[in-house]
Amino acid sequence: MSLSRSPSPRRGGGWSSPGLTSPYDNVSGNASPRKTYGDTQTNGSSSGDNVTWAKAKARSEEVKGYPSFSTRNNGFFSRHARKISTSLPTFRMTGRRDFSDKERLGRGRWAQMGGSRTGRFLTYLGRTAWRLRLRLGIFLAFVLAIILFYVTPMHRAYRRASFLGGGSKFVVILAANQGGGVMEWKGAREWAIERDSVRNKKKYTKKWGYDLEIVDMSTKKRYAHEWRESWEKVDTIRNCMRKYPKAEWFWWLDLNTFIMEPSYPLQKHIFNDLLGNTYRDINVYNPLNISHPFQSPHLDLPARSANGDGHANSIDLIIPQDCGGFNLGSFFIHRSVWTDRLLDIWWDPVGYEQKHMEWEHKEQDAMEHLYINQPWIRPHTAFIPQRKINSFPMGACGENGEDSRIHYSERDRDFVVNMAGCEWGRDCWGEMYNYRELSNKLNRTPWEKFKDGISDRVKTLRGKKEEGTEG
Amino acid sequence: MHFAMPPRKTSQPPPYARASRSSPIRRKQLQFVALIGCTLLLLVYFAIRLFGSSAEKAPPGTPEVVVVTLLDEATMSDEYRARIMENRKYYADKNGYATFFPDVADYDYGNSPRSWAMVPALRHAMTKYPHSTYFFNLSPHSLIMNPKISLTSHVMDKKRLESIMLRDKPVVPPDSVIRTFTHLKGDKVDLVLTQDAEGLCQGSFVLRRGEWAKFFLDTWFDPLYRSYNFQKAEAHALEHVVQWHPTILTKLALVPQTLINSYGVDIASRGGKEVLYKEGEFVVRLVGCELDATRYCEKEFDMYYQQWKSYLNKGTI
Repeated sequence: MSLSRSPSPRRGGGWSSPGLTSPYDNVSGNASPRKTYGDTQTNGSSSGDNVTWAKAKARSEEVKGYPSFSTRNNGFFSRHARKISTSLPTFRMTGRRDFSDKERLGRGRWAQMGGSRTGRFLTYLGRTAWRLRLRLGIFLAFVLAIILFYVTPMHRAYRRASFLGGGSKFVVILAANQGGGVMEWKGAREWAIERDSVRNKKKYTKKWGYDLEIVDMSTKKRYAHEWRESWEKVDTIRNCMRKYPKAEWFWWLDLNTFIMEPSYPLQKHIFNDLLGNTYRDINVYNPLNISHPFQSPHLDLPARSANGDGHANSIDLIIPQDCGGFNLGSFFIHRSVWTDRLLDIWWDPVGYEQKHMEWEHKEQDAMEHLYINQPWIRPHTAFIPQRKINSFPMGACGENGEDSRIHYSERDRDFVVNMAGCEWGRDCWGEMYNYRELSNKLNRTPWEKFKDGISDRVKTLRGKKEEGTEG
Repeated sequence: MHFAMPPRKTSQPPPYARASRSSPIRRKQLQFVALIGCTLLLLVYFAIRLFGSSAEKAPPGTPEVVVVTLLDEATMSDEYRARIMENRKYYADKNGYATFFPDVADYDYGNSPRSWAMVPALRHAMTKYPHSTYFFNLSPHSLIMNPKISLTSHVMDKKRLESIMLRDKPVVPPDSVIRTFTHLKGDKVDLVLTQDAEGLCQGSFVLRRGEWAKFFLDTWFDPLYRSYNFQKAEAHALEHVVQWHPTILTKLALVPQTLINSYGVDIASRGGKEVLYKEGEFVVRLVGCELDATRYCEKEFDMYYQQWKSYLNKGTI
């Protein structure tokens, strides 16, 4: 047998080359009769004379593991190792033990927590958990994934994606600075209103993955015909449609609005059941007394029917009505060919010239005019119960807020409040502040409710005590 | 014994091997089944294509073009109206079109001039013939002189329309800043108009049925336009609408006037000799006869009526 290199002895005995017969079978100094792990496995029955490959390997492993040659019995650890190890608990390695000793209570073991009931319960729990570790692990991973989903912006991406949550199909257009600029200065209250309103919408759109477009509606000499000013709404909507080419629905919101329930997504609140949430037959609620539908026999069927063609996908404009007719403080408009045409003819100089003294609400009155006179408008226009998207506070449309079709109800958790007309004789900022605080109160988390409950109780108790002392 | 290569696998299957499933007979059967399945799928597909869209498709026998002429019992004699109808009907019968003769009194146009009734009359025609494609609005004071001309191939065919439409032309002559589009596909056109030297002509035009047409007619008929006292009523309202609203302008094509709107009288301010009717042309219109107290529509009509009759008798047309 030839070797590739000369055999050499290794530290602690043995030879680096296998297959050599070694006269120093037990030279390692580890003279203990205890068989090593390798021995029991592979070489248990063979005689110790021959150095086999396995044996040599096992030995060299032993050598590597414990420096038995030069440092044996020299260090503190090796001198006291046995003492230390006897005081350590032993674990039963089934089949690997070559000796066993009698069970002696408490010797070398941690006391089993069998004594107390809680201890036993804990052991039981631990054992069960260990047995179910796979299922438990999956469950925990699942919980962790959910937490991660909501902690990271992942849920926003999900809600935004057009094929999942569909949030990118909606754009909220917020008209800021209405009538500002030339007409009036902004005071601290106006700034506060704007700040609160914008923050409210920002929070809402961020939560559900919608787009928010804040438009500056301040009066500017932008048009050759200066009387066109109030029709900026039309241009703004058109610009937004160009800016967000993937969006389908555009929600116009005046500045004096407040989203009371940010937890309502538009999809669930309105659009998943568009036909159920809206009505095209204006006779359901008709403050303007518009005769509907058209009776003239020269019109086509959808134009003469009270409900248009009855399909949800033909609805392109969703308007709430208040006590005075259409209300364009909060409405939805859908991207479509029909909408292009409407936005095109909404403002017309001939109409304006004749009506601008009469049309106090400008584009709102123009819309009413179109609805009344042009049959192609009606099949695509739907109305929505006002309190779905445009509840009024007390003072608008009746002093006491008693009309259940119009006024905000805290109990029903109305979606949006529109402080319409607060500029005229009412306190806009006061209303905005009140509704903001109310919204915060209504939408507290359970933990906040709990804390507030405690502090309330403490307050009442203290109040009683003070009353008692005074009395 | 040693071989350079391992022995080849024998072709005989061992007795315990599973029987091969792709026996020739089995394969034939499968092919047959697949063939039947594919045929069925194709049949279903064609059935859906044939019957599924039947709501959209026009029922057989639908006229492609409807000639709409608004008559006025209050101002026209019975004979005059009968002759007008005869002329239109002859043309329609020859080409398989339909005719529609509403009366001014059928429509509610408020206090506006009577001529406004034309707009709801067109809307009415579209309701009455919901599947026809083109609606040819022709003023009563006019004659279709050449019944051989089919409106579709003469004007409305996509290629033909693209070749004849006037591009980048001021909508209202002579110098409106609003011009017709330079790039417009023939099948996107919904309204084919002509203009004379004074402006757009509402006496003879073609409208394609659709949502746009309803929008256009309703907008045109808006009460605010009717009450505005445009000098020429609906004609000026039309010019206004076309110039102010791009969604209407995009669907509009202007074509040379004599294609569908030759004049029967020589009026210098409206084009003079250039647009005067010549033999073989499609339509002759007695423009403005109902507004001018010195002219008599029926008399002028009679002249062209006799001419038309003589063409028919000679068989030249």
